[in-house]
This record gives sequence, C-alpha cells and structure tokens, in this order.
Amino acid sequence: MIDVRVQSSVFDVGEEQRYLLAGRCDIGAVVTFTGLVRDVNERPDVQALSLEHYPGMTEAALRDIAEQATSRWPLEGVRIVHRVGRLSPSDPIVMVMVASAHRRAAFDACDFLMDHLKTRAPFWKKEHTASGTYWVSARDSDVRAADRWEEA
Amino acid sequence: MSLTHLNARGEAHMVDVGDKAETQREAVASGRIVMRPDTLALLAEGGLPKGDVLATARIAGIQAAKRTHELIPLCHALLLSKVSVDFRLDEAASCVHVESRCRLAGRTGVEMEALTAVSVACLTLYDMCKAVDKDMTIDGVCLEHKTGGKSGEWHRAAEEVPATREASETPPVGVAAIRVKFLAELRERLDTEEVEVPVASLKSLDVASLKAALEARDSRFAALSAARILCAVDHAMAHDDTTLREGDEVAFFPPVTGG
Repeated sequence: MIDVRVQSSVFDVGEEQRYLLAGRCDIGAVVTFTGLVRDVNERPDVQALSLEHYPGMTEAALRDIAEQATSRWPLEGVRIVHRVGRLSPSDPIVMVMVASAHRRAAFDACDFLMDHLKTRAPFWKKEHTASGTYWVSARDSDVRAADRWEEA
Repeated sequence: MSLTHLNARGEAHMVDVGDKAETQREAVASGRIVMRPDTLALLAEGGLPKGDVLATARIAGIQAAKRTHELIPLCHALLLSKVSVDFRLDEAASCVHVESRCRLAGRTGVEMEALTAVSVACLTLYDMCKAVDKDMTIDGVCLEHKTGGKSGEWHRAAEEVPATREASETPPVGVAAIRVKFLAELRERLDTEEVEVPVASLKSLDVASLKAALEARDSRFAALSAARILCAVDHAMAHDDTTLREGDEVAFFPPVTGG
C-alpha cells in the first residue's frame, strides 16, 4: 500500500503506475506529481544539482508522511520515489503517486504529500552553476504551504 | 631467511639478477579507499569536479607501475608485459576496491609494481575526491598473490574483511556516548561530519545539554543553537527537551530543501 524509495537511478512513472495498479480493479483515480530539475533557480544558470539525504531518517520520514495521508484520505496506494546524487536540468527528481477510488482524495493527498515532503523529509540540494556552488535555501512559501494542512 | 636487499655487511644493495632464470611472473595487489556514501555516489555518477575519476586513477596506477624503480630505491627497471588496474565500487562498505595485476617474463618479481600501482591509484582517487570528502582513508594495501620465480606461487591466506568505517567509529564497548552527526551545509560550515560526546559530559540527558556540551568543547558549535538548525534523535525530529539515551544517534541539519 505504501512504498517509499530513495535512489540515485532514474525512475519511470509508467512503470511505477503499473506496479501500483497491478491486479487492482477498485482504483478509480491515480494522481502523480513529478518534480524536475530546472536550470533556473536561485541563479539563472544551474548546470547540475546534487542531492544529499540522511539515510535511515529519510525513509522513515517519507513513510510517516504517507501514513498521515492514508489516515486522512481513503487511499488505495501511495508510492514515493526521491532521487539523490548528482542530477542535471530536466532530470526527474521526485515522484509522488497516489491512488484512490475517486479523484478528489487522490488530488488532495498528492498535494499534501508534496507539501510535507518539502518541509519534513531530510533532503538538501546543492546547486552547481557557472558562477559557483551553493546550498539551496529553504523557502518560507514551502513552510506556509505545509502549514495550511494543519487541522484546527 | 634473509633480506636480499642487504649485503653481507648489512648495507642496502641492488640484487644482481643477471644469473636468475627468466620466468613468467605475475603479481596481484589490492587495496581500498573508504569514503562517505555520498562521495561514492558522486564518483559513481561522474559528478566530481575533477571529472572522470576512475579513468584518471587507472592511468595513474599504470604509469606508477612503470616507474616503480624511480620510487623504490633498490627496485630494478622492468619491461612489464601487462599492467591492469581495476576498480570495484562497494556501496555496502562505502569504498572503492582497487586491484592491480602486473606481468612480465623476467628475472625479478613484479609485486612492487602491483603494490605501487594500487597505492598511486588510491592516492589519485583521494586527490580527485578530496574537494568533497577530506575524511577518506586508504587502507588494506597488500599483495594478493604472486607466481613465477624461485619462490614459486604465493597466495595470501584468506582473512576476515577489514571493518568498515562505520563499524570502526562505533564507540568502544563500555564507553557510554552519544553519536552526533552534522549534515549538508552545516557539516561543511563546521567542517565536521561526526563527533562522539561522552554521556558523562552531559548535565542532563537531553538535546539542550548536548548542545551545551558541544559548545563547551568548541565555540563553533554555538551555531547549533540558531533557530533554523533542526535536530533529529534516532531518525525522528526532536527539540531541545527531547530526552537522549546512551548510544543514540543525534543529527543536526539546516532546513530541508528536497522535492
């Protein structure tokens, strides 16, 4: 039901969806978010990105976020793949795939998962540009995005 | 048993090999360089600033084998018929294994050439990766086997695999300690990857006391008290009041930026 992976190799969204749906006839909606490396971020000439994580905690944090989503929405499956190591612009970096009987739960849960992944999973990006290498700063907008899910 | 490079007076000398029979000789040496897992990942993906690390280290090893006689005082210059240097990336032990095989038809063995090739290949790996990891260690450089010559065939007796760096960093049994890791930008800023703090040096067993003990040890660690710095205890998010137990792994890191 919940599958989380951290890997350096590329992933294939089609293949991930086939695994998620194998033998299932009760799923009516799959929503997938795929994050890609942009060549414009803090500086306009990003040549590469290296991603560091905290092995052990990363997997636990992703699983915890996925469990929160499944307790909040009626989900039939969650798959999260996050890449680490060195990536180039246009490379896929993260995939969050959510399956449910109906679309609304899948859309909302996918949004929730990404907001929390960005603020709670221990990944750090370093950008390599023609003018130097630096660690990417956290964004307040990401924190606000995650905060809006807080239940009153 | 005597040392052939010492003469009757105990002085160093070069052995006269003119009368020795020419035989096919081969020697295999190995060694390894242990590095952080993320350094190994960068190496695997060709992401290091100096470029193709393994190809460069291979050429360095081969060149070094050919010039062994210039480095090791009493070695003969040999016309090697073959030098190979191979690498195996080992994620489990977080290291690169290096193996060199040298061969020639001649009157003297090629184990020094094989050992030199491994050593210089390891040194080149260090040089190529040191921008991102200065903590690498080169170890286990040894002769695996040699064939040919008067002493015939020799193989290293099987032995236990040397402990990985993770294992060797575990505190000795009986010394209660907290392992503290620093990650990403914080690791680079503090120029420290990991330290151990004896439980005995903590006023109380919580994160706030751990920060105080670290700061007492080195003022650089005052940076840990910045509001933006996050903390995890045994892989779960923690705060100043979180209780510690001996053997816990505590990590400090900047705000996360994944996704």
